[in-house]
Amino acid sequence: MKTLLELRQVSKHYGQETAALSDVSFNVKEGEFVSIIGPSGAGKSTLLRCINRIVDASGGEIFFNDENVLKLDKAQLKRVRRTIGMIFQHYNLVNRLSVIENVLHGRLGYKSTLAGMLGLYSEEEKQQAVKMLNILGLQEHTYRRADQLSGGQKQRVGIARALVQKPKMLLCDEPIASLDPNAAKTIMDYLKTISATMGITVLVNLHQVDVALRYSDRIIGVNKGKVVYDGSPKEMSSSMIHKIYGSEAGELIFDHGGQNAG
Amino acid sequence: MTAQTGTKIKVKTLNKASVIIRATLLTLTIITIYSFITFDYKGLNLLDSVIKTAKMLPTMLFEPHFKHFTFLEALYKVLVTMGLAFLTTLFGAVIALFMGLFAARNLTNNTTSNVIRGFVAVIRAVPTVLWVLIFAVGAGLGSVAAVVGMSFHSIGYLVKAYSESFEEMDNGVIEALKASGANWWQIVFQAVIPSTITFLLSWTFLRFEINFAVAVAMGAAAGAGGIGFDMFMASMFYSDLREIGVITYFILAFAIMLEVFASRLKRRLKLNA
Repeated sequence: MKTLLELRQVSKHYGQETAALSDVSFNVKEGEFVSIIGPSGAGKSTLLRCINRIVDASGGEIFFNDENVLKLDKAQLKRVRRTIGMIFQHYNLVNRLSVIENVLHGRLGYKSTLAGMLGLYSEEEKQQAVKMLNILGLQEHTYRRADQLSGGQKQRVGIARALVQKPKMLLCDEPIASLDPNAAKTIMDYLKTISATMGITVLVNLHQVDVALRYSDRIIGVNKGKVVYDGSPKEMSSSMIHKIYGSEAGELIFDHGGQNAG
Repeated sequence: MTAQTGTKIKVKTLNKASVIIRATLLTLTIITIYSFITFDYKGLNLLDSVIKTAKMLPTMLFEPHFKHFTFLEALYKVLVTMGLAFLTTLFGAVIALFMGLFAARNLTNNTTSNVIRGFVAVIRAVPTVLWVLIFAVGAGLGSVAAVVGMSFHSIGYLVKAYSESFEEMDNGVIEALKASGANWWQIVFQAVIPSTITFLLSWTFLRFEINFAVAVAMGAAAGAGGIGFDMFMASMFYSDLREIGVITYFILAFAIMLEVFASRLKRRLKLNA
């Protein structure tokens, strides 16, 4: 499989002292489902945002689809950004607009400034948006306002919005952190299916170690801005998890033995 | 600092901000008391004046009559005043919308934001009436000076109100659209304005109400026409209390209609998308 994303010694400093990321390097192959785990404030969100340059990295190199993301000009960056979908913990939908309008926002990167401003979408784009809503089981909510939906439904709208971009990769920043276990499972199942059937690479920040172990092809453990683990979930040991979270053995709620039982 | 049981527990801790707020309030209280003691009332007997005014009010409010204009003429004049308010609010709103976008810190860089903020702060510092009089130097007293001057102050007011509404919005939405490759104008029209439209409308209607009141005053002070001019004539020229009563009722009726219309529109916007 081809390498889609490559990070080389990426670092990010806020001010002089605080380093959010230091020397982060890893590869992600096409179609891979990768989870990034680590304690709050470890730099997981910053890491994801460096990839599509919502946050500018201070040093290092990021290659996406053989292009050095950090060296792109404005037009090139726009082209790369529209092939990377992003999903957020707080869904980040425009609450006052309908579900389908929110989904169509994923097409803005492909449109002229004026057509995008006025929300003039082609018939084909609308068809595509409806198709995505069907895939995510939201067809009866098409014309409802986004703020009338439940958390899980909102997150599915978020996924649909990312998918109409026809992305090569999805960046998911804590997609299930605000959801109840049921909705969380639905969302993770959708992400897994999307990754498997559409061949889209998924990079997901997670707080739930058990979820990461169950769904991922690979796990990257981050602590204090450094990658401390990069490998398959099968090789993940209890002591490794404690190392990632910087806690003493036996202090975590999570039970490592549970992964094989379920 | 930790709270300790046994001693008195303070809920608020004294910090710099609370000390400054208390000092300001205290100073203002002292100034108020001092000024009331030292006012020069110029031989005005307060009690006498209150009684006189109280006697005039019933004449004004319960015996209104038309003398120098008919009902229809008065209606037309109020509509002229309304038109002045509407036009200046419209000018102000359109220009302020764009300037407000460039003044909101989450949508622009700090320099642009500060330049616009500074500029509109200066505009706001000078009262509307004064702006009208300033523009009257060039345009002469009349409707042109009134429209330009009132629009000018409306811009200053609305830029501040709009830009603060934009800053209140959830930054995550902007981030989400940015991540999908949308550009600045697309984000503004697809996310920022739809998210803040109720605030924008509230502020615009508030300004419309202010402009209506100012437009009445402008008719009297700057010769801008409308019901204000008739009020000026009735009070300063004819000293006709009953006619002032009529005009007051007209203005009141329109102000109430405006309020009802505004709240209906807002309710409808909240219900629909």
